[in-house]
Amino acid sequence: MNDRSTSWRPGLIVGLAIGLPLMAVGIADFATHFDSAEFRSFARFYVGGDILHDAIVAPVAALVGLFVLRRVPTITRAPLRAALFATAITIAVAWPALRGYGRARVPHNASVQPLDYTTAVATVVAVAWAASALWLGVAVVRRRRRSREGSQPVLSNDS
Amino acid sequence: MTPVAVSPVHDERVAARLGLALGVTFTICFLTGLYSHLAQHPAWGFVLPARPVGLYRLTQGVHVATGIASIPLLFAKLWSVYPQLFQWPPVRSVAHAVERLLVFPLVAGAIFLLFTGLANIHLWYPWHFDFPRMHYRAAWITIGALAVHVGAKWTTTRHALRRDSTPADVTEPAAAAVDRRQFLWTAFGASALVTVFGIGETFRPLTRLALLSPRRPDTGTQGFPVNATAQDSGVISLAQSPDYRLVVSGNVARELSFTLDELRALPQHSATLPISCVEGWSVSKRWTGVRMRDLLAMAGAASHASARVESFQPSGSYRTADVDHFQAHDPDTLLALQVDGEPLALDHGFPCRLIAPNRPGVMQTKWVKAVVVR
Repeated sequence: MNDRSTSWRPGLIVGLAIGLPLMAVGIADFATHFDSAEFRSFARFYVGGDILHDAIVAPVAALVGLFVLRRVPTITRAPLRAALFATAITIAVAWPALRGYGRARVPHNASVQPLDYTTAVATVVAVAWAASALWLGVAVVRRRRRSREGSQPVLSNDS
Repeated sequence: MTPVAVSPVHDERVAARLGLALGVTFTICFLTGLYSHLAQHPAWGFVLPARPVGLYRLTQGVHVATGIASIPLLFAKLWSVYPQLFQWPPVRSVAHAVERLLVFPLVAGAIFLLFTGLANIHLWYPWHFDFPRMHYRAAWITIGALAVHVGAKWTTTRHALRRDSTPADVTEPAAAAVDRRQFLWTAFGASALVTVFGIGETFRPLTRLALLSPRRPDTGTQGFPVNATAQDSGVISLAQSPDYRLVVSGNVARELSFTLDELRALPQHSATLPISCVEGWSVSKRWTGVRMRDLLAMAGAASHASARVESFQPSGSYRTADVDHFQAHDPDTLLALQVDGEPLALDHGFPCRLIAPNRPGVMQTKWVKAVVVR
């Protein structure tokens, strides 16, 4: 990081000139209808989400990279990373449905979370793993073809 | 130690591309969310137009789909810049301190918006605050922090987005560039995956693939979703009473009162209109009923009159809804008695519900008992 990137450069000043008034609209709205109990709950989720990511999600991702991805053959690393990432994202996106939170809240409304989400999520995850397997297959075929042609394997270097 | 020696994905070229994508998606979410907010809480002179009919459907479908698509992009972006969290010294100047300080509302706000938005479409409320209000406030704070971040990173991002932006003094293995590309493919691929398997709740060609959606547009009473049921809204006995009357009152030359049979005997009009939920699902149906403008004319209301529609619901934010003069006089704004040729089911607003073009679903008031002209 050079001095230029930590100075009062024009981009930062313009960004502050545009951004701070926009932020002020949201902050001012707190003042118009302030409720301390609501604010405490808001703050818990606002700060908590950031802490959850920085202290748990990202370190877990680092551990997966260190103890799983670094220990598999190089050519399988990217497809496996893609499959694991897509699996985690799919489960995260479907988590309220998997747990049936909405259905539990409105048990008389059969149109809320109407599916068997365990099967639904398993289907989406299977699609992700199938796509990753296809990716791996293509990479293997390409590497063999390049080996036969006498060139260096593209993905043989550790990154 | 060069940046690429640590890991190719913790790189400004990766961060710039993901940041650009997130800048676009969050701006779309902000504008579509603001449109929905103004539709429900008119301000700054905004009046909800009746046309185009499907504008609200489009904007809210895009709002939710774009928000979900942003989830993998945000995780990937945060991963690409994660080492910067531990940079030392943490601040190098006052300007740098300001910039870093304002990264917090950007990251915390982005996570908050995506989490609460996702929970809301699933009707999951693990908090003790009013969701629309806090989502709205956080959106302004986050978009402001995003503007600061874009300004702060403008030069860096422009440089990083150039095709050949490897610093001249850095020699990196070819595999590093491949790894960066693969990481970006992974992030955008995961984004496409959850979008394809989620957008079917509003985009009919993909309904069969709507495996991650909390709603399906073909599932529910009379073949489409229900937002609030009659039982949960506490209207079952009132809506089914034989003494039902629809009253037209307020700023009128003569007050009117109709039984259900009298409403059925009035000229009926049919219109194909979407019911578009703020939570992202939508479906078009053929509605039949009495035009609101006909009722207003019968009551001798002014040609520019607007109205407030009142429900039997004893409580709740949406027991009444305002209909501006554009919508009140639109030929397709109905007090509907039927959907797809059948009498409305109780859960869809029997005996009578409002249905109008380009309008949030929560403002398509069900179990209507009165139209108060203004």
